[in-house]
Amino acid sequence: MKTLALAVSLALAAGVAHAQTIKIAGFGAKSGVVRSFGINSEAAMLAAADNINKSGGVKLADGSKAKIEVEFLDDRCDAAEGISVIRRIAGTNAVVAVGPTCSNVAEPLFGILQKKVGDAGDSGLQMPVFTDVAIKVGLAKISEWAFRNVPNEMTMYNSLFYWLHTRHPELKSVYGGVEEDFAHSRATWYVVMKPRAEASGFDVVGNTKWLLADTNFATQVREMKKANADIVAVSAHPFSTCGVLKEMQRQGVKPKLLVGLTSSSSLETLQGCAKQAEGIIIPTSFAPINKEAIFAAKTTAKFKGAADLHSMAAWENMFILKNVMESEGLSGKPGDLQSDRRKIRDGLAKLKTTNGLIGVTKRDAEGEADKPYVFVHAKKGEWKVLHNPL
Amino acid sequence: MLDFFQTLSDGVLFGATYALIGIGFTLVFGVMHKINMAYAAASVGGAYAGLLVLKVMAGAPAWLVFLGAFVAGGLLGWMVYVACFHFIPLSSPLATLMSTVGMLLLIDEVIVHVTAGMPQGYPAMFDDVMLRAGEFSMRGDLLLVFGVSVLAMVGLLLLLYRTRLGLATRAVSQQPVAAQLCGIRLVRVNALTFVVTGLLGGLAGALIGASVGTLSPLLTVPLTVKGLIVTVIGGLGSIPGAIVAGLLVGGFENVLQLYRGVTERDLYVMLLLFAFLVFRPGGIFTAKGGRD
Amino acid sequence: MDFYFGLAQLIGVHTLLGLSAYIVLLTGQVSLAQAGFFAVGAYTAGMLTVLAGWHLAPALGVSAMSGAAVACAVGFPALRVKGLMLVIATLAFGEGVRLFFFNFDYQIAKGGIQVGPLGGEGFRQIRFFPENGWGTGEVMLFIWAFVVAAMALLWWFDRSRYGTVLRAVGEDELAAQSVGVNLTAVKVSAMTVGGAIAGVGGGLYAHYTTHIEHASFSILLATFAIAYPIVGGLRSVFGTLLAVIFVQGFLIEGLRFLGDWRNLLFGALIVLAMNLRPSGFLGRGRHA
Repeated sequence: MKTLALAVSLALAAGVAHAQTIKIAGFGAKSGVVRSFGINSEAAMLAAADNINKSGGVKLADGSKAKIEVEFLDDRCDAAEGISVIRRIAGTNAVVAVGPTCSNVAEPLFGILQKKVGDAGDSGLQMPVFTDVAIKVGLAKISEWAFRNVPNEMTMYNSLFYWLHTRHPELKSVYGGVEEDFAHSRATWYVVMKPRAEASGFDVVGNTKWLLADTNFATQVREMKKANADIVAVSAHPFSTCGVLKEMQRQGVKPKLLVGLTSSSSLETLQGCAKQAEGIIIPTSFAPINKEAIFAAKTTAKFKGAADLHSMAAWENMFILKNVMESEGLSGKPGDLQSDRRKIRDGLAKLKTTNGLIGVTKRDAEGEADKPYVFVHAKKGEWKVLHNPL
Repeated sequence: MLDFFQTLSDGVLFGATYALIGIGFTLVFGVMHKINMAYAAASVGGAYAGLLVLKVMAGAPAWLVFLGAFVAGGLLGWMVYVACFHFIPLSSPLATLMSTVGMLLLIDEVIVHVTAGMPQGYPAMFDDVMLRAGEFSMRGDLLLVFGVSVLAMVGLLLLLYRTRLGLATRAVSQQPVAAQLCGIRLVRVNALTFVVTGLLGGLAGALIGASVGTLSPLLTVPLTVKGLIVTVIGGLGSIPGAIVAGLLVGGFENVLQLYRGVTERDLYVMLLLFAFLVFRPGGIFTAKGGRD
Repeated sequence: MDFYFGLAQLIGVHTLLGLSAYIVLLTGQVSLAQAGFFAVGAYTAGMLTVLAGWHLAPALGVSAMSGAAVACAVGFPALRVKGLMLVIATLAFGEGVRLFFFNFDYQIAKGGIQVGPLGGEGFRQIRFFPENGWGTGEVMLFIWAFVVAAMALLWWFDRSRYGTVLRAVGEDELAAQSVGVNLTAVKVSAMTVGGAIAGVGGGLYAHYTTHIEHASFSILLATFAIAYPIVGGLRSVFGTLLAVIFVQGFLIEGLRFLGDWRNLLFGALIVLAMNLRPSGFLGRGRHA
């Protein structure tokens, strides 16, 4: 009996001594107007890690299980600081980094990564980065170490305008409102919304412009009024979107339909101007429409974060990474850090599809994602699903 | 042609918000000959604090929120005084400048932390009032802002020229040492100046929030820049100058936006400032000179 | 190790920015235009290495010259404006430069894609360092070569007649004029030297971040530029260096362990620093 007890306790001790952790670093903006994004992404990552750890953790190459540890750093939505942060992360034992929030950080950050894997002449950083939020079109192709799990706006708006055209054949014209000084919103109108609306048979009668921090939209809304389009598409973030919508209310401009920018389908718009935003239609890659999605949202809420298309991408990233780690077989030993990072990169590059919360996500050779989506609209201070094309 | 007048009118009316914030900047400069870079931030902070009224009493009328912002602004003004102007010797203008910048950053961060950076809808008065004359229209709420600026100007001028505090303030701004020799308490006058400008700032912040419709930390830096430009164009220390300059800048930028587009608009505002600096460095209403 | 090299690179670049404001501050001019010269240098160097294929070193030489030229052009009208009006005027100039780049497009086709600055989208893929295989340690040494050169130059000025003249103008213009100092020459030359240093700093910054856009050169950067010499003190160039290490090394990176409190402390510590040591870290202390 005694020897048995001794043997068992020794085995347990051995098991405890081998309790490994795999570190995943998260980073994003926890300062300024985008602070809520960082808070939500961090909460989603912590919630996902907690969930994974409760189910046993990640299986390593040698068969043992490791717990996932998440550390989140603030890059303050600043390019130079983002670069500092990724270098700092690379200096720790983190095997992969999830982030950043801001597209203006993502672009420089991807720029300092090694462009092509195995290029000995390229001294760029060799660290896999799996983005959850930064959505500006075409960034992952900057480096083979960069991957993103963000919605493909081209596909979503194409589908949205096509659906609108089919459902409302009486609506013919589209007018745009563009936030000119922010890379994402600007690109989305000129490169995505406008051409996709035209391709679906709409007549794009023009667009008006403003800046991110503008406060007076009288002139722009007057131009909008003159154009008298059936549909008004606003490619702007919540602050100026609310400003424009309020001015439209003031001047009595009531288009038949309103379309908004992907990232504005969050709590911010509703906090700022729920009444004026009533009815605005936005395509999004997350809505609590099934059990997994509701569970993810609830768990993230326990860690004090809100669930939206951005933070839920971080949640998905964690589970995708777990699967990649297990299929590639991580060693988890300090000496194998660089080879573990390379394995994760290769694993991510191999993926053709991943499991999204609301459906299957396709992945392409550039490292970008084509996520399933639904159309939501603002109703009575909440985002409700308008149409589920899945 | 109607386009031009409409745009001009829209711009001039919105310029009333710049005027309101410019009055505070110019008053601090006129009295203490120092720039308070944290003024716009404190004003926006006051406006945010006004929203606490809604937390305590849901559905409170807009004017009560404005009152809350008014009071909070005064409090913040006093805090800025203590943190940046009370302990730092007057012979270190750079130190006070830098400390007000630090204060600006601090207030911004506090706002971001408390609200998680999210925009907050702001209650407004008369925001659905549009005065119309055929095709031409004017925003009623901005007329209110203009009215408040004029009232503030009258009130401040009365304060400066008809009260003992005002007399003391003017004495301190012209000859601090002589004023002290006359028994005027420098510390008390300076602190009160900040409180008074803070009160006005809080109200300005609330009215700006109401005019824009939402409050966001994005407002602080552009308002600071506009306030400084308006102060210089109007004349450092001149309250009527701040109002005229505010309306001028508002109208000018909106008209230029109509003809040259939104990306070039601010460039022209800078050029306007340079034009004034070259041709009329004292501003529209050059303040009466002191000793230097 | 990479992280520390990277941090040292950033500190180096910011030191150049601070030094450019330092020399102008010595003459009593508070200039918020340094970020504008920094931007000019950044775009110049970027365009030369990316569009024209130059090596970085001569590109930085051109950056210095372009920064100096723009600064010289600003220096003359700056003479007319005194004190706090100069602060606002230089702030407006800096914003003007930013807005210029916001509207600036110059793209050419290289290797099948368009490269070059594109207005609001910015100027991407300035990858001179990684493309030529420079390691982070090598980049750090390269940047610091320029920092050391700038500091040596300014330190030498301080030891020479020129430095004394600069400080004399800063202390009391009237007195300096009355002993025959040519105010125009002194102030404009200081501004020009500052512009050259800022230009080099900007060029290095562009290659550090590989992607620049108008928003990178905001009022905040301009404020950082004068914050460094003010917080560091005007007694010597080392004050500025100390201030940069304090802000970038301690406040931004060192306080990370405080999590959310870090950002709040940033502004608060600056206010505290100014109250405790109004003439800066290496200044004269509370007693003038």
